[in-house]
Amino acid sequence: MTIDCASYRRALLADPQAATPELDAHRAACPDCAAWTTRLHGFEGRLARVLAAAPAGTAVDAAVAQRDADASPGAAPRGEAPVSLAERRNRRSRPGRPVRRGWLAAAASVLVALALVMSLWLAAPHASLARDVVAHMAGEPQAWARTTTPVGAAQLERALKEAQVELAPSAPLVSYAQACRFRGHLVPHLVVQTPGGPVTVMVLVHERVSKPVSFEEGGYRGMLVPDGPHGSLAVLVRTRDADTRTVRDTAEEVRAALRWQG
Amino acid sequence: MERERFQSLCQTLRPDLVRFAFWLARDPALAEDLVQETLLRAWKAQDSLKDEAAAKSWLLTIVRREYARSFERKRLVTVDLDELVIQEDPGLARREDAELDALRAALFKLADEYREPLVLQVLMGYSTAEIAAELGLTTAAVLTRLFRARKQLRALCGEDTSGDPEE
Repeated sequence: MTIDCASYRRALLADPQAATPELDAHRAACPDCAAWTTRLHGFEGRLARVLAAAPAGTAVDAAVAQRDADASPGAAPRGEAPVSLAERRNRRSRPGRPVRRGWLAAAASVLVALALVMSLWLAAPHASLARDVVAHMAGEPQAWARTTTPVGAAQLERALKEAQVELAPSAPLVSYAQACRFRGHLVPHLVVQTPGGPVTVMVLVHERVSKPVSFEEGGYRGMLVPDGPHGSLAVLVRTRDADTRTVRDTAEEVRAALRWQG
Repeated sequence: MERERFQSLCQTLRPDLVRFAFWLARDPALAEDLVQETLLRAWKAQDSLKDEAAAKSWLLTIVRREYARSFERKRLVTVDLDELVIQEDPGLARREDAELDALRAALFKLADEYREPLVLQVLMGYSTAEIAAELGLTTAAVLTRLFRARKQLRALCGEDTSGDPEE
């Protein structure tokens, strides 16, 4: 079945990641729609970045700032939550803002919530690194295509060169490879094709994590995985595409296939 | 579910909950309140969460209910959109380029019925069917809203929409 340009564009405006044989065939046959799709994906990337940006002053930014302090390996454990719920509420209170609930209920709620919030603070993972990785994804939506075509050997080599790393033949099929600027360094950004769907792997030579950390953020789920003295890997999938097991298995496969030269 | 596992789960999902609450309410302070209330309710009702894989959807549903309750309690802070863009959100007005600022402002102006499915799709990674289930709509209605949301956003942002189809 073939579709016309209007139907194609209507479908992509509703879901820019939509992929069916009919849509793919139309895009391949229609240069105008292919160019329009590229522009739409650019818009979509900006939209994802705006939506994923944490509103400053909210719990996200405060938590991320604290987690940054915790993120470095060997960071000393904190003895208390940095900011209490009551204090945070006072900081952002506005004149005339109504009180939320009655005294007894409020006291009980605040105590329970405070216990929960403190425990969440103390369990803080490497959220800002995960957030930066997710933000980077928004700029390259085209990388997520499902395909059986591997990226060219020369392109793969260029992507890996700066990080002084190679991939053993046992690695899963790599369909996308770029050397991307990330936190001031050029790092390999790879997409590998797995039975569970496309999986992105970023080889973060300059980022260390002390232990594997899972995250789910901005429509992605993934893991930050330490790789000995070489830095870490960020491995992630779109939540709509694959599950946690795919992330974990791919992380293991890629880590086993990496050959560090430096 | 074990208490530690539940805490870890909340920790993992919390940033997305705050972002979702923010784009729902368009008010950082209210977003924080909504998430606090959500976690509190989730904490009390954690035994009702049987399937850990459903935690995110469960928590997002609680956020939406808390947002609806904020109307019932008549404690909702009304938002002046222009003021929100220009002043209150240094929060959002980071040093980014004009395109992102325009897009952010356009998102604030988008009607709730269009912004909410868009946020669920782009930020939360929900499929059309999942959005339909969450919002109690048909998939056709969700697709229509998403189509209109992007059409309006692109127009508000001054994108070249000459190639965009009519409804």
